[in-house]
Amino acid sequence: MRYADFTPYDLVLLLQGLGVTVGLFLATSLIGILVGTAWAIVRFYRVPVLTPAITFLAELLKNSPVLVQLFLVFFGFPAFFHLNVTPVEAATITLSANTAAFVYVIAVAAIESVGRDQIEAARVFGLTRWQVLRHIIGAQAAAFSAGPLVALMVNQLQVTSLISVIGVMDLAKIGANLNMRTLKPFIVWTVVGILYYLAAKLVATIGARVENHLRSHSAFRGL
Amino acid sequence: MRLDLSILVPYVGFLAQGALLTVWICALSLIGSFVLGAVVAIARTSSSKLARRLAFAYVDLFRNIPFIVQLFFFYYGLPEIGIYIDALTTGVVALSIAGGAYASDAIRAGILAIDNGILEAAEVSGLSKRVVFTHIVLPIALRTSVRPLGSVLINMVLTSSILSTITVNELTGQAKIVASDTFRPFEVYAALLIVYAALTWLVSIGIGMLHRRLNRDMQPDVR
Amino acid sequence: MIEATDVRKAFGKAVVLDGVNLTVQPGEVVSILGSSGSGKSTLIRCINGLERLDGGKIKVDGFDVSVPGQLAEARKRSGTVFQLFNLYPHMTALGNITLVPMEVLKKPRAQAEAEGRALLASVGLADRADAYPAQLSGGQRQRVGICRALAMQPRYLLLDEVTSALDPEMTAEVLAILAKLAEQGTTMLFVTHEIEFARQISNRVVFLEKGTLLVDLPTKQFFDPAGGLAQPRVAQFLSKMRKTENP
Repeated sequence: MRYADFTPYDLVLLLQGLGVTVGLFLATSLIGILVGTAWAIVRFYRVPVLTPAITFLAELLKNSPVLVQLFLVFFGFPAFFHLNVTPVEAATITLSANTAAFVYVIAVAAIESVGRDQIEAARVFGLTRWQVLRHIIGAQAAAFSAGPLVALMVNQLQVTSLISVIGVMDLAKIGANLNMRTLKPFIVWTVVGILYYLAAKLVATIGARVENHLRSHSAFRGL
Repeated sequence: MRLDLSILVPYVGFLAQGALLTVWICALSLIGSFVLGAVVAIARTSSSKLARRLAFAYVDLFRNIPFIVQLFFFYYGLPEIGIYIDALTTGVVALSIAGGAYASDAIRAGILAIDNGILEAAEVSGLSKRVVFTHIVLPIALRTSVRPLGSVLINMVLTSSILSTITVNELTGQAKIVASDTFRPFEVYAALLIVYAALTWLVSIGIGMLHRRLNRDMQPDVR
Repeated sequence: MIEATDVRKAFGKAVVLDGVNLTVQPGEVVSILGSSGSGKSTLIRCINGLERLDGGKIKVDGFDVSVPGQLAEARKRSGTVFQLFNLYPHMTALGNITLVPMEVLKKPRAQAEAEGRALLASVGLADRADAYPAQLSGGQRQRVGICRALAMQPRYLLLDEVTSALDPEMTAEVLAILAKLAEQGTTMLFVTHEIEFARQISNRVVFLEKGTLLVDLPTKQFFDPAGGLAQPRVAQFLSKMRKTENP
């Protein structure tokens, strides 16, 4: 193998990798938020059997390494379920499930943060549970969870880097390839690190904006 | 599609070795992060603007760059500048540096939570700043930070799995070998998830006990 | 001697101390009275260096509290007792008292503890030496606070509304100890709302109003209708305080 120096095309490669990272991050975050919130709603309705099952699954996903979860889906599912799983598919499934588990906890806390008195008043007035959820809990819970959710998002962006281990051509994988080709790890990993850092800051900034917007409609206006 | 956990039985000892290595790695990294975290926390609450800026930069950087990128930076980069250390040591160093960033946040919060009046009493009594820190600030801050530091440790246990990517044969590394030996990755990784979850559960119980023990004198007597 | 000359202190736009002059000689017991916000606590906090002066000078035995090198010496000569006790929660009562003698005076542990226990005995807490602050009542905590301040054998004892956070029974406990200290000749400068107590044990009473020292007289003269009470603000203040004491 010939060890080559950096070329301008490497920048394109890095940006492509960044694109894959961001793309998967956005997709899995969206799915994770939807699924996690759905789980929290199931818990709100106190559905039997399903609620403890979800809680158990969420706890398992939260308290085990994402890398192992990736291996389970990428290596384990094909062997066990006899179906083909591409690296991207495995990454999507794993990251979505992992995000959902953390969103579940945040959503449950957010729903419970809305005072019982409001819920009781609404129920006494004849609103169904769904109406209570939608009109009373919804906006307040969203405002409450905005902060923790942004922090979670920043964290999950870092977590995407693990999908490089199962072969997805994300930013970390491009970095690994560049490193092997140019044998200049300091430069390669510093640049990769900076790109991840900037992406994280971008997520944090956008998240802060969204949080402010959600908070502006919430009841607590500060002292 | 048959779940056969019995194939793991002959490998229990092998996996246990990996688990022990994980525990050893986390113990060392815990000490490293703790010391680093305390130093950085003191820097972040110091009166020197430079110290505060440097400390903040460190925390900001290592919390917004994925661990695997940090790990590869050290593992591939250090030999480039002539520092040759084995994979295990590199892993512990990387975990300590990453963990230190989170630990410093926990300890800093503990320091900031100290009642101002107590600091005033210490100040007027003529104690030197060093003694105030070692005898009053740190002991009180650490008692409040036990739980958050416990979260850092739990995170570290999960993150240690990433060391398997640099040939460290901790629990995940051993599991990969078992998976390829037995051709049953599903059983292996599913069991691995449960083992990690059990490990973190044990840690959180231990943390709870430690917290109660350290804080028992600070709770008012139940009369 | 504590010498405060033309002391000025402002927090932002609010002027809290506006040219205060006060001298405390060794052996004197001086009480500072005044309504909330008059600057009483701030004055004490300026003397022990917790607040920096915006103008004027304070010297404790000749050491200027505004000069960093001299502040440490000034602080060695005074001990402060706080309204909210401010005990170290992670140390026992004895530990709170022996910390500074051991660390600053380098006293050996055995000696420091013996002296600490003696102090605790003098305030009636000999059996609570190994209790933690969380296990003590408010009055007991304040008594430990007094011992802690006395452990370094300071020349001057500064007391900042030390009974304001206590109920009547505990207040009486603490005041009894302060009276004993006054009798023994300890120099004390204290801020208080306990008018009767101030009247009984102080040699001098000083009245602060909106940052200025309106009256500075020996006790008898202060409470005399022709002396301190001649000042309308003082009379008004005292009658209000009397109303709450004897409704």
